[in-house]
Formats: sequence, structure tokens, C-alpha cells
Amino acid sequence: MAISNYLALAAALFAIGCFGVMSRRNTIVVFMCIELMLNAVNLTFVAFSKMHGELSGQIGVFFVMVVAAAEAAVGLAIIISVFRSTLSVETPDSSELRL
Amino acid sequence: MGSALGVVLMQKPLYSALCLVLNLFCVAVLFGFLDAHFLAVSQVIVYAGAIMVLVLFVIMLLSLEGQERPSSKTITVLAGLSVAGFLAIIFGPIQRAFTAKPTAIQGSVKDVGVELYTKYLFSFEIASVLIMVAIVGAVVLARRIKNNGN
Repeated sequence: MAISNYLALAAALFAIGCFGVMSRRNTIVVFMCIELMLNAVNLTFVAFSKMHGELSGQIGVFFVMVVAAAEAAVGLAIIISVFRSTLSVETPDSSELRL
Repeated sequence: MGSALGVVLMQKPLYSALCLVLNLFCVAVLFGFLDAHFLAVSQVIVYAGAIMVLVLFVIMLLSLEGQERPSSKTITVLAGLSVAGFLAIIFGPIQRAFTAKPTAIQGSVKDVGVELYTKYLFSFEIASVLIMVAIVGAVVLARRIKNNGN
């Protein structure tokens, strides 16, 4: 299968994730849409790494996964902490990031 | 890709999380097609295993009963239009430009590991420090504050 098919699929996934981030209000769903966008970028990394015959793209994907895991831990902790203080996970309710 | 639409369109967060798991598995299969076997396996373990368990755990812990208020119509329409414009702009060049034949590479555990531990050793160590900081930060943020009266 040609590389361009993978790239088109990745662009579509990225667009769907972007649409979700812009249109949804639930913070957890927005968070999952960000994961979706990271995944689409990973797919382009691997496709280009295949196209050029280099491994550095795959190394990049590895580090993206590491950073995504760290971000998931911190982000969910923030969501829990905000939920404790406002009893809500919707985006307009948490416009004040104070303790 | 249908599952990706499910993530965005499902009303309940739990269902969209399950759709995301399906989507991550599909992307892992595509990694396998692209000869990135190590990444396919770590995608399943790290994303579908660790991160999604964490997300599902938080969704169930918060037990979101109330329905989400729908976003305003204009914002949704604007977001849809901008995303559709983005796709329309980017699809043509993609189909034209990248028709090169894929080259054969090895994405086995051995090759990726050798590359990772020789050329990218420093970044690897930095990543471990980052994860350490993230763990400490998550514990600090999610901890119940005890000394504020109750």
C-alpha cells in the first residue's frame, strides 16, 4: 500500500481529534481527543520512517509515547483535582486555575 | 476511522473511551503493516493498556451522571468547517506528492533498541527523568489536602 494512504488516514484522524477538542465540553473527552491527535502524528512518523528507510522516526514515536504517558498521568490528576473543587468536568466551569 | 468518529460523537465519556481503545488497536495494526513491530507492541501495551486503563478509572471514579451540556451550534459548525477546510487543503498534495515506493527497513526490537541505546541514549535518560517528575506531580496534584480544616 502506498505511503500516501497512511498519510491521508493520519490527516483524517488528526482532523477528527481537532474537531473534538474544539467542539466538546467534557474535559476527559477533550483529553482523549488530544491522545487521538498524538496518535495520528505517530502514524505519519512511522509512515515517513518507512518511506525514507530510517529508524529515527520510530525513535521519535517512542518518545512521543513516553511524553503522552507522563501527560496522561498529570492531566488526569489535574482533572481529579478540579473535579474536587468544582464538582464538574466541563471546560467553561474551570476557567480559574487557582488553588 | 469510524471508531475515531465514535470518540468525538458519543454522548457518554465511557463509550467514547472504549471507541478510543478500538482506534488505538487499529493504529497498532497499521504500525505492524509498516514494519514497526516494536512500536505496534508498545502501542498496545502503553496506550491501550496503561493510559486507557487510567482514563477509564478516572471516568468511573468521577461517575459522571449528569449529561454534558451540548456545545453551542455556532462553535460546532465553525469547528467542522475549519476541519473540513484543513482536510480539503491537505488531501490533494498528499495524494500527489508522496507516491514513492516504500523502502524495506527493519523495525524489530533489536534494531530499535540498538538505535535507542547508542544514538539517543541522552534523550532516553531525559525521558526517564520526565516520567519521574510526572509521577511526583500527579501524586502531589491528586492528593487530598489535609491541613485546610476538613
